[in-house]
Amino acid sequence: MFRFHKLDKTTSTRCAVCKYFRRRCPPDCIFAPYFPNDNPHKFTCVHRFYGASNISKMLEELPVYLRAELVESLYYEAKCRVQDPVYGCVGIISSLHQQIQVAQTQLAKTQAEISVLNANFVVAQPPSSLDESLVQQNGVDHGLDDPFNTWFY
Amino acid sequence: MSANPNTSHTSSNGSACINGPCGACKFLRRKCVAGCIFAPYFDSEHGATHFAAVHKVFGASNVSKLLLHIPVHKRLDAVVTICYEAQARVRDPVFGCVAHLFALQQQVTNLQAQVSCLKAHLETLEAPTPPPPPASRDEFPIANLPTTSCIPTSFDLSVLFDPTMQSSAWSMQSLAGQHVDSIQFSRVTTRTISQHDDNGDASDMHEVARELMQRHDTGSLEASAVPQHYN
Repeated sequence: MFRFHKLDKTTSTRCAVCKYFRRRCPPDCIFAPYFPNDNPHKFTCVHRFYGASNISKMLEELPVYLRAELVESLYYEAKCRVQDPVYGCVGIISSLHQQIQVAQTQLAKTQAEISVLNANFVVAQPPSSLDESLVQQNGVDHGLDDPFNTWFY
Repeated sequence: MSANPNTSHTSSNGSACINGPCGACKFLRRKCVAGCIFAPYFDSEHGATHFAAVHKVFGASNVSKLLLHIPVHKRLDAVVTICYEAQARVRDPVFGCVAHLFALQQQVTNLQAQVSCLKAHLETLEAPTPPPPPASRDEFPIANLPTTSCIPTSFDLSVLFDPTMQSSAWSMQSLAGQHVDSIQFSRVTTRTISQHDDNGDASDMHEVARELMQRHDTGSLEASAVPQHYN
């Protein structure tokens, strides 16, 4: 029973990487903080494309405070590559570029429509009647420039 | 298969030894066998440079395994994207191309918010009074446009460009879940890669894409005698 207890203790403290390789997880294991044993899929996914030695080298080249971000970005790229082995996350980048183009087109179109409406409104209102209406509503002669200058962009 | 990279004799199997070892085998300093999976994509002149980043980030065996599971006609695209990711990772060891992806996602969100705001403003201009919407926008007469009392006297659009205006947080799942249908990849990839970096550092990645696709177009590709199955 003591042996089983000891094995359980060792097993439960191993990180996902050492568990994957069925080896003892040392106290200073470089993978342990980023590949906990409760998420084995994370390492299997990353390992599939990068390999453990490459991941280890990448971790060693970075300061400790940046390693978590590195692992997350590797995991994200690996997941994208699993879902789309040909294009990976570059496919998503392409898709986003297309979305930006569509949004920019819509933005320009909407801005043009607003400009047309503004221009039509200005044309439709003769200057004298506009002055008169402003004075009547507010009791102050604002002049033509004031309310519209902030519109046109 | 000749061990001498300068031998120009032809081989009946593959293009590996026609022009010497491919860039990948040159980099790895190994014999470039007939049917080398890297040979169609990494030429002996510049391929070694491109392969260096790929090997550093992914490793030759991982890339080889990946390519083996991809149909031959898709492998060029796969190699281009792998090279792109590798170069991005070399340039930014922490985030790689994910940083660019995140920036694009933010840009899309901001643009969509701007469009929504402007459309709301447009609707306000077109139908300022509550009652009934017109049958069609074209039929809405100019005379029914709002009077000055109904129009806001100022509309500050600078808020739309506020960089602090954040939308939903970056969600890996939402991004990874996007499915990209068939894309004219050569065109899109070239454009995508060329827009990657404002500092012009994307020129080398652009060059990679162009070189690979030129090789593909000149018929340097040969079917490799490997099982073709696509997962």
